[in-house]
Amino acid sequence: MIERCVLFAVLSLTACKREMRDLRSDPPEAAALDQVRPMENRIGGAAPRIMYALGQPYEGNAYQLNQGKRLYDWFGCKGCHAQGGGVIGPALMDGWWRYGSDPVSIYLSLRDGRPNGMPAFGQRMTTDQMWQLTGYIRSLGSYRPSTAAPSRNDEMQARPAENRGPAAAALIARPSR
Amino acid sequence: MSGSYLEQVVQPDTRDTDIPPRLLGPQLERIWGTPRGLWGFLTTVDHKRIGQRYIVTAFIFLAMGGVLALLMRLQLSGPERRFIDPDRYNQIFTMHGTNMMFLFAVPVMEAVAVYIVPLMVGTRNIAFPRLNAFSYWMFLIGGLVLWVGFALDMGPDVGWFAYVPLSGPQYGAGKRSDIWAQMITFTEIAALAVAVELVVTILKQRAPGMTLDRIPLFVWAMLVTAFAVICAMPAIMIASTSLILDRLVGTHFFNPSEGGDVLLWQHLFWFFGHPEVYIIFLPAVGMISSIIPTFARRPIVGYLPLVLALIATGILAFGLWVHHMFVTGLPRLGESFFTASSMAIAVPNGIQIFCWLATLVLGRPVLKTPMLFILAFFFTFVIGGLSGVMVASVPFDTQVHDTYFVVAHFHYVLIGGAVFPLMGAVYYWFPKITGRMMSERIGRWVVGLVVVGFNLTFFPMHILGLQGMPRRIYTYQPELGWGPLNLFVSLSGCILAAGFVLFFFDVVRSMRSGAPASDNPWQAATLEWATSSPPPSYNFSRIPVVTSANPLWDATILPATRGLRVERRELLVTTVVDAEPQARESSPSDSIWPFWAAVTTSVLLVSSIFTPWAVVWGAIPVTFALIGWFWPKSTPEDLA
Repeated sequence: MIERCVLFAVLSLTACKREMRDLRSDPPEAAALDQVRPMENRIGGAAPRIMYALGQPYEGNAYQLNQGKRLYDWFGCKGCHAQGGGVIGPALMDGWWRYGSDPVSIYLSLRDGRPNGMPAFGQRMTTDQMWQLTGYIRSLGSYRPSTAAPSRNDEMQARPAENRGPAAAALIARPSR
Repeated sequence: MSGSYLEQVVQPDTRDTDIPPRLLGPQLERIWGTPRGLWGFLTTVDHKRIGQRYIVTAFIFLAMGGVLALLMRLQLSGPERRFIDPDRYNQIFTMHGTNMMFLFAVPVMEAVAVYIVPLMVGTRNIAFPRLNAFSYWMFLIGGLVLWVGFALDMGPDVGWFAYVPLSGPQYGAGKRSDIWAQMITFTEIAALAVAVELVVTILKQRAPGMTLDRIPLFVWAMLVTAFAVICAMPAIMIASTSLILDRLVGTHFFNPSEGGDVLLWQHLFWFFGHPEVYIIFLPAVGMISSIIPTFARRPIVGYLPLVLALIATGILAFGLWVHHMFVTGLPRLGESFFTASSMAIAVPNGIQIFCWLATLVLGRPVLKTPMLFILAFFFTFVIGGLSGVMVASVPFDTQVHDTYFVVAHFHYVLIGGAVFPLMGAVYYWFPKITGRMMSERIGRWVVGLVVVGFNLTFFPMHILGLQGMPRRIYTYQPELGWGPLNLFVSLSGCILAAGFVLFFFDVVRSMRSGAPASDNPWQAATLEWATSSPPPSYNFSRIPVVTSANPLWDATILPATRGLRVERRELLVTTVVDAEPQARESSPSDSIWPFWAAVTTSVLLVSSIFTPWAVVWGAIPVTFALIGWFWPKSTPEDLA
């Protein structure tokens, strides 16, 4: 009985976190979210401490992922990466990453740009927006089951809705270089 | 002593004429009564117990929705208040509307009917009593799903009408809209079940002699309402199911790029949503038509016009849903048609008002609390009706659409038109249900506080709306100048809340220590007052025979039928038009299966928020529950 109560309490806590909507983060929080400590080659590194204090909201929260998806549209990511399959730029959903798949690497790619065409968005997006986009990009391939995912957009469909993942299972193409 | 004697006397096919009259009551109680304890609570199919439960649950939801309203008024009491953040505010106003419409207004009206209609038509139980039990459990669990979701920060936040695309997959992240949509499924199943029971009860179980022109007006109103429910609810269930499919498995019902249609949602929703207003209002019409003759001390004036007005309203209600969509850019001809039909519905409503006024003028009105609520209704509802005619006109509607003017309008119509008569009905039927009177002194205070509080709260909202204050905003800037009036509205809201607190206090107090009520404390004319207060489990020891529209006024001794069996649950089936006796029909006994069916259906519906596979695996326990429910009992067929 006690175990059940504990289980229910834990489940309800995850539910809270899953659905929470932080519409505008406090300025000190947003500043602290930028404190990534990258490795020397700017691939990988330590995420800002506050990320753990906040409970890694950009990974498992449906609202944040959905915001990331909207930013993916608004900031023209599709121009190079298409729906995630890649055109001019590399694919984001085939499991192959030039600069690492961890959140810090993707965040650095967004903020500072990468050689051969990836522009820097650090001056155009807020810190939490970049983390939202990071979370969405990491969810594109749907490698792992997640209880939080955005769903399809109201537009022509190029791929199954994200919440029908894992999309990776449906991918036949080998990693492209 | 009588128990053992009855066991010896009562053989199969014992009629009520075979046993001594003084033993008839105890024997019927043995057959119809509900066992005590938890088992009896879960298995009972007595319409009075279920109706009582339904009413209490709906009023608890009313109180909870009222608390949400107060929270909103606290947040809006001044510009730039930081009491509630915007996300929480969105959830709160959505919960308030959803809760009041789906968990209070419609269920409470059907609940009163579940209790009162079988008594009014003089039968022993509602038709399909097990479906009735199932309906209550579905309603309860549906309400819990919504409120538990809200407690877990998963409350819907898209308005009580959940327009796509805001509630659709692209903008409605998370499971919030799914919880809303699935709550719809729960409550609509419950409402449809009750509607079917009411139609059959009213058409086939009326006391002998209760021809169509002798049916009490409340029963007529519930018949029209039940048909409206049956025609309206499927639209919203189709809409909410399509929404869930869009969100969960990526269908494209509401995605224009893939051939879907966003406006389809609004059409489906309002094809249900506008009749819904009348599904709430028509039972109130019935309540008013029951209360006024009793306190005017004369039969209602214009029985036939009233019945025809009820039916006309029920039909016209399906022809004006588009007036909720005037600003979506419809063809001019369509707008004109729906403007005309929206204004036309004022005609039958006007007929009703004048019939009631005529009854009051020609009678000798006694101003007891139920009657005071009716007078409050007249005043408030007419204001709401007039602002309704105003917004029926397209140019005016375009100006005030989505402003507080509309908020004021529909609160005037719904609270003035339905909640005031309902509170009057509670004061009116409370002695019948509990056997105790409510306090006349407190009742007058309740009327005063609620009516004054209501008008001071909602009338200024008309002005705020005309000043341009939009609906659903969580705050506003000080320069807009809406602050003082909003503060006034919030303070007046406290008066209204005080009235409701006093009302609930009076209910609880009277239930414990109210003055005992006689069988017919108001000297009313309809059959529910012919039995004891509270009624026994079998309602009437002999089914009464009706010879006029006001049986308790016109007959000094109410004639009764003879020859029903007493060793099983049996009631009388009569013809649809003339209520001639047709057959003796068995009535189902207590059963646990409706409860299990509701639990398994709930597991299926709630799980299907998270995975489509729940529909497959969840169907298995539902199947077992239904097999248990419908397992053949090898009882003989009913005899004509």
